[in-house]
Amino acid sequence: MLEDALEHLVKGIVDHPEDVTVDLLTNRRGKTLEIRVHPDDLGKVIGRGGRTAKALRQVMTGVGGRGLRVDVVDTDGR
Amino acid sequence: MSAPQQPTDTAPTDTALGDDTATRTVLTPAASGVGDPDDILEPAVDDALGADAVIEPVDTDADGAAGAAEDDEDDEDGDDLLVREGDVAGDYLERLLDILDKDGDIDLDVEGDRASVAIVGGKLTDLIGPDGATLEALQELTRLAVAQSTGVRSRLMLDVGEYRAKRRADLTTLAGETAGRVASSGQPERLSPMNPFERKVVHDVIASVAGVHSESEGEEPNRRVVVLPDR
Repeated sequence: MLEDALEHLVKGIVDHPEDVTVDLLTNRRGKTLEIRVHPDDLGKVIGRGGRTAKALRQVMTGVGGRGLRVDVVDTDGR
Repeated sequence: MSAPQQPTDTAPTDTALGDDTATRTVLTPAASGVGDPDDILEPAVDDALGADAVIEPVDTDADGAAGAAEDDEDDEDGDDLLVREGDVAGDYLERLLDILDKDGDIDLDVEGDRASVAIVGGKLTDLIGPDGATLEALQELTRLAVAQSTGVRSRLMLDVGEYRAKRRADLTTLAGETAGRVASSGQPERLSPMNPFERKVVHDVIASVAGVHSESEGEEPNRRVVVLPDR
């Protein structure tokens, strides 16, 4: 549910929604949502000064709890 | 997609991102509820300066969207754009509520030169957050989604669970009482720090009261309104 919600939020704000994936990982440090987007959309998801990523984090911790982490991962395959 | 699935082993690669942006941006949970209010609230800065940043309590009329569309039929393209903004925002938020399995209706309206979108009903407190921080973030994302769809930067206002409407009512009362005291005592009063939306509400009330005026002083996030007697 959390990953679907984040995927939806991200797909709405990028040029390549078909390339958006979100994975929910659980490890000893807690839950992490990892966002992968088309390389050209990285700037859109992060935003100026990290502002968009911060907004995504704020919304997701609001619905998923304070311990939830949200990461944007580079996926250009190198 | 051959992207690595390992959560932590993605090698940092030098991409087109600016050097102030890590290739892998790690976002730790906010240390405090408000996180960095300065940043989150920044979009509202023009709100404080705009002549029309008045946020009316959102009409809970269930057919607000249809009504707004009809009202606009003899208006120019600007309002058509605002109606379209509302439609895009409504779809974006409705789908979010659906995924989160939350009850809530979306009310759409046009207030002045902005689209106004409100999520009402249901248990919505976690979409409001401490001091409205989550609401501000959701508004930011909704504006981005609208801009992505329309190609035009959006200034739409989002409310959730009537948070802004209530905050506005409380601040209107506070500002009115403060204005009355300052007018009779002749002594300035400083209010608590507020975000741009909140200060705008207070300035508007003070401006409507004879014998007093208001200014803002200090830096975000501690910027506050000062109510002063006229001469």
